[in-house]
Amino acid sequence: MATATAIDRLRDPSEKTLGVMLLAPAFLLLALIVVYPIGKLIWNSFFDLRLSGGSGIKFVGLENYALVFKDPDFWNAAKNTVLITLITVPGALVVGMGLAMLANLPFKRKWPVRLALLLPWALPLAFAGLIFAWFFHTEYGVVNDIVRRAVSPAEPAMWLLRPNWAFAAICLTIIWKTSSFMALILLAGLQMIPKSLYEAAEVDGASKWQQFWQITIPMLMPSIIVALIFRTITALQTFDIPYTMTKGGPGNSTETLAMLIHKTTIDYLDVGYGSTLAVCMFVLSLCVTAFYLKRIGKNA
Amino acid sequence: MKSIFDSKSLRLIAAGLVVVNGFFPAVWILLTSLKTEAELVSKPITYWPHAPTLGNYIQAFTDQPLLKYLGNSLAVALSATVFSLLVSALAAYAIARLNLKRRQLILTCIVASSMFPLVTLLVPIFETMRAFGLLNSYTALVLPYIVLNLPVCTLVLVSFFQSIPKDLENAAMIDGCTRMGALVRVVVPLAAPGVFTAGILAFVNSWDEFLLALSLNSNPNFRTLPVGITLYQGEFTFPWPIISAALIVAIVPIAVLIAIFQERVVGGLTQGGLKG
Repeated sequence: MATATAIDRLRDPSEKTLGVMLLAPAFLLLALIVVYPIGKLIWNSFFDLRLSGGSGIKFVGLENYALVFKDPDFWNAAKNTVLITLITVPGALVVGMGLAMLANLPFKRKWPVRLALLLPWALPLAFAGLIFAWFFHTEYGVVNDIVRRAVSPAEPAMWLLRPNWAFAAICLTIIWKTSSFMALILLAGLQMIPKSLYEAAEVDGASKWQQFWQITIPMLMPSIIVALIFRTITALQTFDIPYTMTKGGPGNSTETLAMLIHKTTIDYLDVGYGSTLAVCMFVLSLCVTAFYLKRIGKNA
Repeated sequence: MKSIFDSKSLRLIAAGLVVVNGFFPAVWILLTSLKTEAELVSKPITYWPHAPTLGNYIQAFTDQPLLKYLGNSLAVALSATVFSLLVSALAAYAIARLNLKRRQLILTCIVASSMFPLVTLLVPIFETMRAFGLLNSYTALVLPYIVLNLPVCTLVLVSFFQSIPKDLENAAMIDGCTRMGALVRVVVPLAAPGVFTAGILAFVNSWDEFLLALSLNSNPNFRTLPVGITLYQGEFTFPWPIISAALIVAIVPIAVLIAIFQERVVGGLTQGGLKG
């Protein structure tokens, strides 16, 4: 009888043992790829650690941080990253909202619209960057061709060759790429709003405009907040699209924090300074996440 | 409810707007890939290719080892998907079914890991992989991709497991199944649609990843598709027809996948998103 229970226990472990067993792989991986790197990152930031030279590792305390604050490249990249976030997140929300409203109309065949929203989402960011770099080509790009035909045949805009134009082109590309995901999330939210609410508003004589602001927007709020959080976190990490469209140029006018960290670490192999930059970026995104979570706490 | 969109033609215009917005870039790249270099640099630019050619596709495969990149992407994305599903299915089952204290906290921990900007972890991940001699290997990408997919896969699977009535499992256990037996014989088959949905999301995520692939695997033998395609351009030359052809080759597999499984993908995305 005693041996039977031992075998039973092996074959049918207690809830707690089973729980630990099942959760172990996930948490081991999180430890290896997230927790340990965070610790290592902070540790590295206190050292002069260059993999290229033979100078070895030297403890420098907070010197790297002092350098960051005096580094014009850091401030330039931080400014670009924050600007891209402030422009493309609301931009994608507005465009995504429009797409979701259009896609929510009662179509007989739903698949073309659905696929049209899924395709930009599934397209790698790097591909979107390449494709739009071709769109914005000064001489042979389709954007300038449409402008020339429709608006004026004046001098074509040198999109990717002028700092502000390149920045605008990158923002437009990011908005196109990300608004579809926004639309999919919002569309799911729209479909959950009971039709009876609109019917009641209709009876009370509310206009379409009033219905949008008084019913649609408040009912969609949970979906909007989720979509905004996801989008903001990814916008702060912007890398692929500027990398493939301009490589940060002209000059470093479109370089983001992610690109600066990548360049410092992978191209220059300056791990110490790269880690310090990463810690700064980490703190920035933590502040943004905390801000959002606080707002959600207030709303709920 | 009367609306300006009650008219059929206006509804068609609405659908047209959404469809053009979604498909135009891919269509334009397809048209570009069929043009000759000479036609491409003629002004004013042409929309429809005058003398369609498949030569760019042949060049796309000969200028760069495109087939090798395709194979690498497929190998990395498939193994990342399989392992992501395995790891997150185990975790999701524990969260959804076991009588654990703090299950909400466990789920929050897993989801919160997606809030960490991957690029800041790039440096230590690069160092770790370098130390283990894993730079330029499939493993270097598969390990981080599992973590990348973990939050969304776990969320989708938790809600699927929760939708399977616990009585089914209990009945199996009364009939003499062990808990593990019930898991394998009852829960896994019923959760198959959820596993499939999570799998597609994991596959697309892994297929699209660029920064880690660019940084960890610079050897052409292990380069993935998104990174490989950026290499057709020289310092000052952009062979657009060839790049376009390569892009079409790279887009088709993923486009076919989402076209076939679009309902599941939308379901999974909104489920993963709305519960997060």
